[in-house]
Amino acid sequence: MKAAGQLLAIGVISLAAAGGTYLVKGPPARTLQCDPATLKPDEVCLQQIAPDEAVLWVDARHRKDWEKNGLPGSALWNLDADEDMQAFEADIATRIMETPRVVVYCGDENCGLSRQVADQIRAIGLANEVSVLHGGWRALSEAGRIKD
Amino acid sequence: MKPLTALLLLFPALVHAAGLEFKELIVNQAAAVDATIVTTDFPFTNTTDKPVTITKSDPGCTCLKVEVSGGKLSYQPGESGVVRTTFDVGNSTGDVEKGVAIWLDDDPKTKPSVFLKVNFHIPVLVAMEPKTLSWTIGGEAEPKTIHIKIAEGSTINILDVKAKDTFKTELKTIDKGHEYELLVTPKSTAGPDLGVIRIETDSRVAKQKTQQAFAVVRKPAVNAQTAKP
Repeated sequence: MKAAGQLLAIGVISLAAAGGTYLVKGPPARTLQCDPATLKPDEVCLQQIAPDEAVLWVDARHRKDWEKNGLPGSALWNLDADEDMQAFEADIATRIMETPRVVVYCGDENCGLSRQVADQIRAIGLANEVSVLHGGWRALSEAGRIKD
Repeated sequence: MKPLTALLLLFPALVHAAGLEFKELIVNQAAAVDATIVTTDFPFTNTTDKPVTITKSDPGCTCLKVEVSGGKLSYQPGESGVVRTTFDVGNSTGDVEKGVAIWLDDDPKTKPSVFLKVNFHIPVLVAMEPKTLSWTIGGEAEPKTIHIKIAEGSTINILDVKAKDTFKTELKTIDKGHEYELLVTPKSTAGPDLGVIRIETDSRVAKQKTQQAFAVVRKPAVNAQTAKP
């Protein structure tokens, strides 16, 4: 009985401490973290791209998502079966001539499609640098670059 | 103390060893040229002496779906199952590599026990190499060649070549239905230019019927990434 009482007391104190922390510090941060030291070789963190840097952003999501909340000025290139690959390729090639730095983003940090699209853009052989944005659209959204 | 220390040291090793034994961790999967989805099976057996539970799987791509033996996630010693991946091919062609991370029991969030890999090969019926021909502004407007090869076992004819009128093209048949050369010459290298060169074929696969390459006149690239082989 004594042990149960002690356990209950510990539980109450822990809960009170947790509640106090929540009230003072707010809810736990669930924002996307990007550490340049742990990136894959072709990835880039959003904070590594200067806001005024000329970048050709490529959205690798579905067309309806790009139309709804794609980054303003971005180009679309996904691998959906009903899309015209040649049209994507020609559009990107034309735009790379003006902006040879390309960053591809997908839905979130867990989207391998952006890597596939980046490979295809590299295969054109016109870009200076083609990277995949770590965190994808979510990183852009959390940074306030996209108005959803 | 010594036996206890030994036990403590041994414990992580035992946890690490606990798991499922897969017949193969890497599968090379050839897809049909007109495939829309490709399924790949990874059979496994619990070769340990205790139950093992698959707690999470991550295909790392919205284009890949993962199923485990009809939803069964816990396996008794000696019991077998199958991890099945389904790849939505979409407009992918060539070599595509996809991986699936599998977490078992108490695997740490960042360290799944198992990593499965599928190397898909979706045939490219008409290959144009190089993808882009380049001239330097002010340089000589010499002809350059795009080699066009048809995949082995296929016969595909080139029906038409279209290019921007600032580039001249000439198609040479090396082996009808199998190999061609396309000579491209810019009419001028006085200023920057980009031309799209499209070839129309009689390929039965709609998504590979038309192919394209690029011809560009530009300043010498300082740090241009080369096309992948």
